[in-house]
This record gives sequence, C-alpha cells and structure tokens, in this order.
Amino acid sequence: MDAIVSEERISEFVDFLVRLVELAGALIIFAGAAIGFVRFVMTALRSRRAEAFVPVRLDVGRFLALGLEFQLAGDILRTAIAPTFQDIGELAAVAAIRTALNYFLGREIREERAEIARTDLAAATDDATSGHLR
Amino acid sequence: MTDPLSVAALVCTGLGLLAGLATLVATRDGLASLRVALELWTAAGLLRLSAPPSWHGVGAAAGILAVRQLVKLGLRDAADAVYTGAAGRATSK
Repeated sequence: MDAIVSEERISEFVDFLVRLVELAGALIIFAGAAIGFVRFVMTALRSRRAEAFVPVRLDVGRFLALGLEFQLAGDILRTAIAPTFQDIGELAAVAAIRTALNYFLGREIREERAEIARTDLAAATDDATSGHLR
Repeated sequence: MTDPLSVAALVCTGLGLLAGLATLVATRDGLASLRVALELWTAAGLLRLSAPPSWHGVGAAAGILAVRQLVKLGLRDAADAVYTGAAGRATSK
C-alpha cells in the first residue's frame, strides 16, 4: 500500500523548513553584528569611557542568543530527518555546541545587565549626594 | 548556502577588527576593545557553524568558539582583578 504522503516528500519538506529556520537564525546573527558594529563606532565617536560600550555589547549578545535559538530549532527539526548514525552524531555535536554557547551567552547577558544596573545605581547615588550637598 | 555564510562570517570578522580598533582608539583600553572585537568574532563563529554539519567543520568552528569563550572568561577575570585592585588601593588610602 502506498503511503498518502511519501517519506521522501516529508523529508524534502522538513529539509526546506530546516533551511528556512537556519537562514532566519543566520540573518539575525548577521544583522546583530552589523547593527552592533555601527553602534560600537558611534559610541567610540561620542564617548571615551569603556563602560559606554557595555549596553551595546549586551544588545549584540541578545541578538546572538536569539539567532542561536533559531538554529537550535533547526537542529531539533533536523532530528526528524537524520537517517544515519553519522548524521545523528554530527547533529548532536552541533546541538551540544550551540546549547553550551547559548548557556554562556545567557549568563554573560545576566552579568552585564547587573553591571549596568550597578553603574546606574552608582550614578543615581552620586547625583543624590551632590544634590543633597548643594 | 555555504558560500554566503562564509562571506558573512568573514565580514563579521572584519567588522570585529574595525570595531575593536575604534574602541581602542577611543578608550585606550585594550581589555575593552578586545571584548568588543570578541563579541563580533563570536558572531562570525556562529555563522560558520550554520553551514551544513560535517565533522571537520564542526570541529574547527567549535575549537574557534571555545578559544574565544576562554579568552572572554580570562579577560573578565583580569578586568575584575584590575578593578578590585584599584578599589582596594582607593579604600586603603
């Protein structure tokens, strides 16, 4: 009995979806890098303080984490059509690397967010102290 | 799809170099400029990893990304040591 939808068709469709999702991830990563570059240069032209670059780095990290999420979604989709142990092994390696990177990026984003909050708090305290002294 | 990805990765590497140089010129802070450059170089590594998986490609991309993560962690520790040392000197005065 012929299947209603052949295995080959499903495989082609999932492969198309994987390419679409991975392309979206790659576009997000590239866009994040390009936007980050422009903002880094603008910050370099406006400010001489190293702390001024932290929010930009935080935003680039957010773009990278979002792109990685898309690529992980592509990996999960690909498990549906990985036919050999070789394919599954390669897929597992890529997924493991991306998951580890996503974890480290998430941690970095949390730490930099805390650093920005600390800097803002210190600036607010300085302002309040100088206002009180006046 | 492999070729445009390689080109995009190469572009990101170049942008990282330029952004790092701009930061170095503006701040005269080597650690800050390296951290800026590493952010864009990580993007380049991720784009390289987007190519269809093969053991050789995965190994190379993973090696590069691992080295960058290690450098990032090392830089953070170095920066912490510098700032903690400076704060300690300031409070002891």
